Amino acid sequence: MSHLKIERLSKTFGAIRAVDAVSFEVRPGEIYGLLGPNGAGKTTTISMISGLLKPDAGEVFVGGKPFWSNPQQAKRIMGVVPQELAIYEELTGRENLEFWGRMAGLSSSEARSRAVELLEALTLTDRAKDAVKTYSGGMKRRINLGCALLHKPQLLLLDEPTVGIDPQARLNILEFIRGLRASGTAILYTTHYLEEAETLCQRIGIIDHGRLLAEGTLSELQERLGGDRVFVLEADFKDTSPDNWNGFPQRFRIIQKSERQLVVAAVGTRDSSECLKDLLNLPVRVENVTLKRPSLNDVFLQLTGRDLRE
Amino acid sequence: MLRVLLAKDLRRAWRNPLPWLINLIVPLAMTALIGLVFGGHSDSGALGRIRFAVVDEDKSLLSDFLRGSANQNQGGKYLEPVFMEREDALREINANKISAVLIIPTNFMRNYFTAREPVSLELIKNPAESIHPAVLEELLGAVVTGLNAISRNFQSEFPDWQAVFEGKTDYHRVSQLIDRAGDKLKTAKNYINPPLVSYEKEAPADESKGGAAKGGETKSDAAKNSSTDSVFAFLLVGMSAMFLLFIAGNAMSDLYRELRQRTFERYQTLRDSLVPFIASKAVFAVVMLLLCSAIMIGGGGLVFRIHWQQPLALMTLTVGYTCFAAALFAVLVALMPDERRAAVLNNMAGMALGLVGGCAFPANQLPAFLREHITPLMPSYWFVDTARNLQFGGVNVAWGLVTLKLVLLSVVLLALAAGLFRRRFKMGLRA
Repeated sequence: MSHLKIERLSKTFGAIRAVDAVSFEVRPGEIYGLLGPNGAGKTTTISMISGLLKPDAGEVFVGGKPFWSNPQQAKRIMGVVPQELAIYEELTGRENLEFWGRMAGLSSSEARSRAVELLEALTLTDRAKDAVKTYSGGMKRRINLGCALLHKPQLLLLDEPTVGIDPQARLNILEFIRGLRASGTAILYTTHYLEEAETLCQRIGIIDHGRLLAEGTLSELQERLGGDRVFVLEADFKDTSPDNWNGFPQRFRIIQKSERQLVVAAVGTRDSSECLKDLLNLPVRVENVTLKRPSLNDVFLQLTGRDLRE
Repeated sequence: MLRVLLAKDLRRAWRNPLPWLINLIVPLAMTALIGLVFGGHSDSGALGRIRFAVVDEDKSLLSDFLRGSANQNQGGKYLEPVFMEREDALREINANKISAVLIIPTNFMRNYFTAREPVSLELIKNPAESIHPAVLEELLGAVVTGLNAISRNFQSEFPDWQAVFEGKTDYHRVSQLIDRAGDKLKTAKNYINPPLVSYEKEAPADESKGGAAKGGETKSDAAKNSSTDSVFAFLLVGMSAMFLLFIAGNAMSDLYRELRQRTFERYQTLRDSLVPFIASKAVFAVVMLLLCSAIMIGGGGLVFRIHWQQPLALMTLTVGYTCFAAALFAVLVALMPDERRAAVLNNMAGMALGLVGGCAFPANQLPAFLREHITPLMPSYWFVDTARNLQFGGVNVAWGLVTLKLVLLSVVLLALAAGLFRRRFKMGLRA
């Protein structure tokens, strides 16, 4: 049974449809990545799952039960790490952890012992008694994460937990999250970093303009583009129309086209060298051809026509 | 839960005390400022004796009479005239040792009795003081009115009286003059004793008909003796009520910080009910407000030597009022998502409640519509009026009922604030 299941979740703010009939589920011991650019609807989705926003339509099931039938019970098995640093800067790291532990329903002694464990796990023990305002960005992020873990939630919602920190701090946090997954926690992880989704998540949902465009494992998503064969052609593509080239649409799927670049995926199971031969015989003077494995960005490009990094 | 939330806020305040210190310092500074402006304490709890110089350049019997009347009976209780030459008097006023100089000019008596030319008394006020010189000016106005009244009624006798004052007549004529004056005064008795037109100083207890608290019908002796006329006690209660509203606005604005830092939002991901979170803020604000009230009402009482007639009742009433103030501003925070706009709104709300509630001006001096229809509905009026009744009115003031009303209103307002926050969050309107 999945720890989290959402069905056709929708939310509208005025004329803007922020989330449009999004459905997915997160199983125990799985990290599900919700990948999309800023404004795609990731935070709104998490807000609806955590009960901060009431959906206009659709249903959220936490631990197999509808969230709104007993919100307090659902909140008890859920931990939420907001994108912003929702911690008290005047308090120490330990005090923050203990306070949020008490809010999650732990007794004073439970909160104290869990805070010690988490400070150790987050490698913050030596700074435990310092005010959070004296911490570095990465340390604050770790405390922000730790504050959601005091009550050992079965379901963890992480809303871009690595935004704005240096690569080393990011690696530390990602490693910590992998450890949580290994302990059986179901994790919903939103991000707009392709590398994080590719290396961390077992399944990925691609979201844009509030709609879930595709989901699956990384290889399933890559398969949509033609397995491991994506060709990047460099030439003068101004005033050209590849769709009109003889037999081209039957052999290649266009992922992106610009004046200087054409990104295509091979259709079918032909050998890469045959594909390369076809591309060199195109009615344009090709200056360079690169063969690569399709990335999530290519998938996103194919789905939206836009680069995720834009 | 409430204890944990309060402990968290206490720690935050302890680590970042400046905003809270400002909240505490403002009433302290206000109290000190009022003390300085009004000249501080007096044993009677009122204005204190007014020290002023009298320069008698006329040196006549009439000017002697005026000089003498200044420090006799009731005058002696409130006035402290010192007699000196003009130069000395001006030196004293420049040194800020006296409140004013009263100059009785040369030929004052002669001109008054002969009406040869208009007579005038000269008053030089100390510009460094505000209240005492103003009181002297009012008193001098009363003296001038009296002298004019005498001149109108006894003008025909003035040549004889002038002769008497100059020692140019025998005792038979003096006795005849006194006899005639007695007859005239007897005729005027019906008009001047008791005066035909008079004003009655209403006790606050009488004003409260239909208001929050019914005043007592029996005035305590202590109230009659010491504090009945204490303008400071009257003002201090009103000013404190008004300042507590402003401070409550500041204290509850901590909710904006919680919204801005998303800690309120994080709380919601763990707890379904918002009431404990908002209630903890309100309780914390009430603690701060009670500290401020202790400074303003308690400290102010010490500065002005005000003897609070029923301190326990006043304290209980203040607790109720601070609960109301905190809950009111919780509602305003919930209503207004924009912190900067809210700061303006809070100040306006505090000011309006204070003014309409009779904190700044006595309620009976407000326009009739406000006084009769709006003011009695204001919780600030319930507090101020009841507190003043406790001080000036008597022993049967219904302060318990008023406190209960304020506390119940606070509970309703807190529930309303929680509902408004919930609605706002569900709509996605955050800080």
